[in-house]
Amino acid sequence: MPAAFKDYYTTLGLSKSATEVEIKKSFRKLARKYHPDVAKDKKTAEEKFKEINEANEVLSDPVKRKKYDELGANWQDGGGYRPPPGGRAGAGHRADGTPAQEFHFEGTGFSDFFEQFFGGAGRRNYGFPSGEQEFTADGGAGRARRGADIEGDILVTLEEAMLGTMRPISMQTADPRSGKAETHSFTVRIPAGATDGRRIRVPGKGAEGTGGGVAGDLYLRVRLAAHPDFRPRGADLYYDLDLAPWEAVLGEQVIVPGLSGAIKVRIPPGTASGQQLRVRAQGLPIGKSGDRGDLYVVSNIQIPTEMTDAERELWEKLKVASSFDPRSDSKT
Amino acid sequence: MNPNVPDDSAAASRYAIEAVAEITHVSRRLIVVYCQHGLISPVATPEESGWLFDEEAIHRLRHIEHLRTEYGMNMAGVRMMLEMLGELEQLREEVRFRRGG
Repeated sequence: MPAAFKDYYTTLGLSKSATEVEIKKSFRKLARKYHPDVAKDKKTAEEKFKEINEANEVLSDPVKRKKYDELGANWQDGGGYRPPPGGRAGAGHRADGTPAQEFHFEGTGFSDFFEQFFGGAGRRNYGFPSGEQEFTADGGAGRARRGADIEGDILVTLEEAMLGTMRPISMQTADPRSGKAETHSFTVRIPAGATDGRRIRVPGKGAEGTGGGVAGDLYLRVRLAAHPDFRPRGADLYYDLDLAPWEAVLGEQVIVPGLSGAIKVRIPPGTASGQQLRVRAQGLPIGKSGDRGDLYVVSNIQIPTEMTDAERELWEKLKVASSFDPRSDSKT
Repeated sequence: MNPNVPDDSAAASRYAIEAVAEITHVSRRLIVVYCQHGLISPVATPEESGWLFDEEAIHRLRHIEHLRTEYGMNMAGVRMMLEMLGELEQLREEVRFRRGG
């Protein structure tokens, strides 16, 4: 099952030479447009939102982006990935070169292509001491061996993490010896308050055991989808609020979006750029406790780039009238 | 396989030490030793409600056993490896968080 190449640049409407700022901008714009909570056609929007997130996950990370660019240069039409001399392709082989049992997920929010090359967890064979022995003369014959655990990523939106959700997953496995494909469908519960990196264990959905051994487990690692407005850190959320200089100096009442409705926030007079204003209990749920993390509104003072003559005059007046010296410390 | 039947046994589960031993094939005694060495930790304090573990602990136990049997690491090696991996994970998260800003 060779994974199809994904053109992440096209997904985000960017050229290959796009800068980090352009990638961020384009992602935010598209994520706002296709966010499942906002879009009218939910089904199509959801698919699109996942694609945008996956593209952003790779392109916004310089290391992953470099790898992706190299992959693209080595990709053959229809033939999949052509590994550079000396290297080996993805996760499809064991150390001795024999093909490993292949897994292919649907419903996790990530494409096969992503899973194969960028899945953070990789396909580690924990719990199966010596996966390579399966094909040796005595390996497996009559001896009960527990199947390997499988790891995969699952894309979860902040809204899903907020409320918890049930996600249908289908997993196709192909036996490398017989080529027989099997599909397992099951539903996985994403608990409310699932944080980034948390592993959800699905018992018995890993690789099959041999010689009467039980199957391994499937571990799905939660990847919180990037949100156009919020950045999660544990159960806390961060929101970057752009402010005009006079708003920061004089104070202001602003409305900021929250995951459970808009919130009125008072910006106190004299708010510095980068200052964090805490709004209690407006973050993600903390486990089953019923408590919630906090929302941090981060002040981000914007400087006007264009101004009228009248505005310039006012700034000039302020310059003369003000006794404020931002560099007074360095003069003493 | 029974499709579309909610498989929620994995959601926010708590496992008693006996269950963990059965799932991971690591003896209770060894689990306690790992806890004493700080390699894994129970979710609740043993005095409060007995030895209870979460999925992360099961995953970690599998990882520890893998490092010991596959790579022949001793306890000190496993501990260093887990600490380094934990730190790496934290740094990755921090980078991710900052990049998102």
